[in-house]
Amino acid sequence: MSVPPQGPDGARPDQPAGPSRPGGPVPPVSGGQGPVQQPSAGQESGAHQPGEQQMRGDDAVAEAAEAARRDAANRIVDTSSGKDDGLNKCPKCGSSEIQYSLSSKSLVCAYCRHTWNEENAEQAFGLGSSIAELSGHTMASGTADVREDLTTVTLKCQGCGAEVVINVDQDLQARCHWCRQTLSINSQIPNGAIPDAVLPFQLTREEAIERIDAFTAKRRAFAHSRFKEEYVPDNVMGVYIPYLVVDGNLHTVLQGTGEVTTRQYTVTRGSGDNKRTETYYDADVYGVQRAFDLLVDDLTIESADRFNAKDNEQATNNILNAVQPYDTENAVAYNSNYLKNFTSERRDLNVQDVDDDVEERFLAIARAKALPTINRYDRGVRWEREGVAVRGTRWVAVYVPVWLYSYADSAAGDSLTHYIAVNGRTGTTMGSVPVSHPKIFAVACAAGTVAAVVGAIVGFSQFLF
Amino acid sequence: MLPLLAELSADPATMTLLAGSGSGDGGGMFIPFLAGPAVFAAVYGGIYRYYRNTDKRHHFERETKVSVGNLDAGDRKVGENNRQQSRRMRGRNSTDHLQRVRRIEVD
Repeated sequence: MSVPPQGPDGARPDQPAGPSRPGGPVPPVSGGQGPVQQPSAGQESGAHQPGEQQMRGDDAVAEAAEAARRDAANRIVDTSSGKDDGLNKCPKCGSSEIQYSLSSKSLVCAYCRHTWNEENAEQAFGLGSSIAELSGHTMASGTADVREDLTTVTLKCQGCGAEVVINVDQDLQARCHWCRQTLSINSQIPNGAIPDAVLPFQLTREEAIERIDAFTAKRRAFAHSRFKEEYVPDNVMGVYIPYLVVDGNLHTVLQGTGEVTTRQYTVTRGSGDNKRTETYYDADVYGVQRAFDLLVDDLTIESADRFNAKDNEQATNNILNAVQPYDTENAVAYNSNYLKNFTSERRDLNVQDVDDDVEERFLAIARAKALPTINRYDRGVRWEREGVAVRGTRWVAVYVPVWLYSYADSAAGDSLTHYIAVNGRTGTTMGSVPVSHPKIFAVACAAGTVAAVVGAIVGFSQFLF
Repeated sequence: MLPLLAELSADPATMTLLAGSGSGDGGGMFIPFLAGPAVFAAVYGGIYRYYRNTDKRHHFERETKVSVGNLDAGDRKVGENNRQQSRRMRGRNSTDHLQRVRRIEVD
């Protein structure tokens, strides 16, 4: 499938984006690698990667002109705070000692106790406009392609002028070693660590531990003994996990075959002891087609490869997937102070890395929505062809909050990390507890033996009588 | 071997296979003798799944907020399929939303 268009650096709604062909299933771009999305406001201008395809010949020129015309609809929404890197001050007293308080559910200044929250991201950046009016592809600036080489940033302290180097792979804040003020990354450096919006924690750590305790208490009998010995719920961590949130204005078509029962009858065969009845069904066969528009609001998809829900080889990532949904519509504009005292995972997947998956999810949603329209086919419907035309999409990078307990099970040789996760907004809890296979085997054998004995008695009684 | 056994017994296909293996001609009489292995697999798989939750996921196709409009339904009879022994049609996938089928271009 195609890849999303990446507009030129800092493009705004009135500026055309890079070469692409909108209107395809998901934002397209010719070639395997689109232009690199450079930092937005205040960052250096973007240069296209060498791999970008060169268009040659009259046809190519015409095609490029046509693409450029249509690309006028593609746009990048600037979600940066407009602040320079460095001091991130309390709006009331100017202190940089700010952190998120779970008791007040807001940012709190440690000096003047002023509490506030950043503005709702949808309202602040106009990301809540009607999905039906989406045309082309709208990308919030925090979804820019990740640059792996951006590992350190030098911050200049506006308090004393000192220069502080910060490893942005690990941290987004550091103290000035001269004047002790907190310095923050406030601009959207394109290393995947700065989202467009953050969904702050609502659930306290204590509430999360209670839920994890309750979850494991129900699963102790057959839990692996080592897990029971090493279980320390206090090790739960607050983690911000990166998601890409997608809105879609779509048109979808499903085609297949459906059957309706027209007659049900029984036929008696044989005679005497061999007499038996068989039920038969007659059915009418229909060609079935459903075409409809879909407006998808806030479809979420993991944007950190290590949390890929389809890959449970190293860790039970499906657990993190299962504690959804999140109320992403309540996400607030990014402020690095929301992340203080929590850990956060860097986004390492770009829009074009997940767009195939997103298109499949669009189709899955379409299939689910078509279900109530095929009730008359009592024998079922076999969908054989499906397609989706994407009229418009909107992509936003959001950090969502998870209280996470991890347990690395190395008993089986290959280490598998078991997660018990609590949705930091709703409290939905799901987890994976390592099991003791010998214990389950013993219980299953016991139950199977009882069933076998009962079955044998019933079976032999059929032979005998 | 035990994890493999757990995965196998947690797989609904295994249960189908076990149930189906006794449904041949005259095979119905052997069904009671399969109760032991079937219960073993169900207990093993049930406990394993309750602890490991390997089947849990976010049902985005149902839980995502979606508006549907301009439904265009085109159904036409193309034939008959008579004297079928199954109550359900073969290959039905109307409830298997994650199974993808042949992709078509849509304008």
